[in-house]
Amino acid sequence: MTFQFLSPKPSSYTNKVDADGDIDMLLKTERENFETKVVTPGETITHATQYMGGHGTYISPETNQRLSSVAGVVDRVNKLISIRPLHTRYTGEIGDLVIGRITEVSQKRWKVDINSRQDAVLLLSSINLPGGVQRRKTEADELQMRKFFSEGDLLVAEVRETFQDGSFSLHIRSLKYGKLRNGSFVIVPPALVQRCKTHFHTLPCGVNLTLGLNGYIWVSKHTTQTVEELAIYSNENEEIDQENREAIARVCNSISALSRHFMCINDKMIMLAYEASLNFPVKDLLKLDVMEVITSEVSEKMILLKAGMRR
Amino acid sequence: MSSRLELIGPQGLRTDGRRFNELRNMNCKPSVLSQADGSAYIEQGNTKCLAAVYGPREARTKAQVLHNRANINVEISLAPFSMEERKKRSKSDKRILEIASAVKQTFEPIIMTELYARSQIDIYLQILQFDGGTVQICINAATLAIIDAGIPMKDYVCACSAGCIDDEPVLDLNHLEESNTPELTVALLPKNDKITLLQMESRLHIDKFQQVMEMAAKGCKEIHTVLDKAVRENIKDLLKKSSI
Amino acid sequence: MVKEFESSINEKDFILQGIKEGLRLDNRDIYDFRQLGITFGPDYGRSEVTLGNTRVLAKVSCEVMRPYQDRPAEGMITLSTEMSPMAFPSVEPGRPSEEEILVSRILEKAIKRSRAIDTEGLCIVANEKVWSIRVDIHFLDHDGNIIDAACIAAISALAHFRRPDITVIGEEVTIHSIEQRNPVPLSIHHMPICVTFAFFENGEYVVVDPTLQEEQIRQGDMTMTLNIHKEICALSKAGGTPLKMETIINCSQIATTKAKWITEQIQAALDAEKSKK
Repeated sequence: MTFQFLSPKPSSYTNKVDADGDIDMLLKTERENFETKVVTPGETITHATQYMGGHGTYISPETNQRLSSVAGVVDRVNKLISIRPLHTRYTGEIGDLVIGRITEVSQKRWKVDINSRQDAVLLLSSINLPGGVQRRKTEADELQMRKFFSEGDLLVAEVRETFQDGSFSLHIRSLKYGKLRNGSFVIVPPALVQRCKTHFHTLPCGVNLTLGLNGYIWVSKHTTQTVEELAIYSNENEEIDQENREAIARVCNSISALSRHFMCINDKMIMLAYEASLNFPVKDLLKLDVMEVITSEVSEKMILLKAGMRR
Repeated sequence: MSSRLELIGPQGLRTDGRRFNELRNMNCKPSVLSQADGSAYIEQGNTKCLAAVYGPREARTKAQVLHNRANINVEISLAPFSMEERKKRSKSDKRILEIASAVKQTFEPIIMTELYARSQIDIYLQILQFDGGTVQICINAATLAIIDAGIPMKDYVCACSAGCIDDEPVLDLNHLEESNTPELTVALLPKNDKITLLQMESRLHIDKFQQVMEMAAKGCKEIHTVLDKAVRENIKDLLKKSSI
Repeated sequence: MVKEFESSINEKDFILQGIKEGLRLDNRDIYDFRQLGITFGPDYGRSEVTLGNTRVLAKVSCEVMRPYQDRPAEGMITLSTEMSPMAFPSVEPGRPSEEEILVSRILEKAIKRSRAIDTEGLCIVANEKVWSIRVDIHFLDHDGNIIDAACIAAISALAHFRRPDITVIGEEVTIHSIEQRNPVPLSIHHMPICVTFAFFENGEYVVVDPTLQEEQIRQGDMTMTLNIHKEICALSKAGGTPLKMETIINCSQIATTKAKWITEQIQAALDAEKSKK
């Protein structure tokens, strides 16, 4: 499910097909009523009773109209109306890739902060043991949980299941998941990170990028060799030279610039921002006027790219 | 007792030049803080308030966790430089705690807390300059900040104060007026005109009560238009920035 | 920390259903107060009020003190309402709970801010000596509506209280003991009476003087403080279910009648006490 703020499409399209392949069933007039409509709490979205209400809507008990409960844009998929607010905490789904920080070590589980309504849970049974050993976790493992993850560690994981109260359970049963090292951490609003096929990118400037869907991003040194299986829980960083550090810092600041101007974050945008930032020294990238210049360049280039794609 | 003040001058103008049914000059801006989930800054006349909302997030203490809805926590602090005399105000001053409790109870039925079991919503309000109307500005600022944080609410909550000078109802009292006349603060849901908060501290005759309440309700509706406009402008701004 | 005892879901539904039909558990009308009993203690300024099963005790005492700097010719009134675990098993002694802050603020607004007592009459020597009146309110038993009971207790205690007579000759102040000269009553401008309403079903049903069980299922509440001259001294509806304006106006009319009735009861009790002495 893509999350984009789309401008109204030209009317040359006869059959509106959106990213999921759904064909729009509504009349053209009704459709125009809803596109990019901004609503605020307590406002009537529609008088028609044929629509089902999704997130951000509720039915007023007195007048039986569908009202909005958040301030945002109306998002309509056929008969389902929901309202997307612009700043929300991360609400995840099974299979999402997230980055989190350990907040608590309790019995047989860790509590992980993932910028959501509640801390997520990482069960002891959901992690890999060092050395690739496949066995049941014993009580000895329980007592040594801090050897694997202790408070303050950063990790990348996938959402395994969601509980009824809205919290998640994570797992890191794959070699590409696990503890993060050799890099720098950036926080952006979760709404800006789009779902893609892969969230692990390597930028041409020699920097690894891990985009968590919860708005946490990890920028790290590019390693050609995979981490040894025994060292997946090591807390040691490798040696990172000056050039790499600069590249990592530049990417981090470009991401901050994009997020400040509320532009969506994916590897293409970050590369454009990185190239636009090469004109300035790294430390100047935190200045507001420099950020303006970079982001306007990026938006121009994106418009050109999109125009090129349409033709 | 204070010396005889003329709160309404001969031309029907009050001490700050307003007529009896005029609101103070109001400025508001949502999304002013970068770290909070939602934030807002409001100025009503000379009273200035900054609100920050965090949440829903993991509850801090296990004791505050409610199994079926979110817990709302409100903290208000009055800056030491906010009043004429610089004085450090303690956070457990009963007046401030009462206002915080009133704000919390006002928002409890309005925020849809059943959607966020076991979480906590924190509302922090900071009064930067005080010229009367603490309760109303706290409620208005909190409303804007909660909307900015994307937390679902049934409707806006708009608050306004009204009083009675020389037997005439007047709207939106400043500090000088509220120390010398009865002041009624009303918080309203603009959609269905229902009142969520009603507070008064001085003596008012019951015959005047209805008029004053109706005047305050009208003021709330005007405030609603100002807040709504600010929210819409903010969203349109962000949409413009993010659409490429 | 002991959790407050809650009624079962069945009981709550039963009470709510009864209120919807206009019936209450103790056979009262929805706008009726419970049986109000006011007794005065052996010494001046002590009054005990029973409102149904709710019991509140108020004791007034006085002391000569220095006045506040910004009010040099006025006396001082202090109200103390500490909730002890005797009436509130879920309250931790020492830490003021949210409910306690609300109760004490409403009583302060009702008695202090509404200027029920003439504070200028408490001045002895301006800038140096004034009377400081202290009202201690103790909650003995909580069966709902402690605010109304506490207010009645405080006001009747203040009306019953007698302070020692004084003579001022130049800078010298002589305080006469009770045996020497008859003690003097306080001058009371008006008697503020609190009337508490509880709301159910989104404001459709109103009840006056809720019991503890009714308080537990209420969705909103409002306390109006009025006096017999039809002036609203304080109003507090802090959150809770939103109400229509007509409901509030309606409640204010009911509150005026109730305030009148309660004032008459207090007056009758005071007169009975005076004739006893």
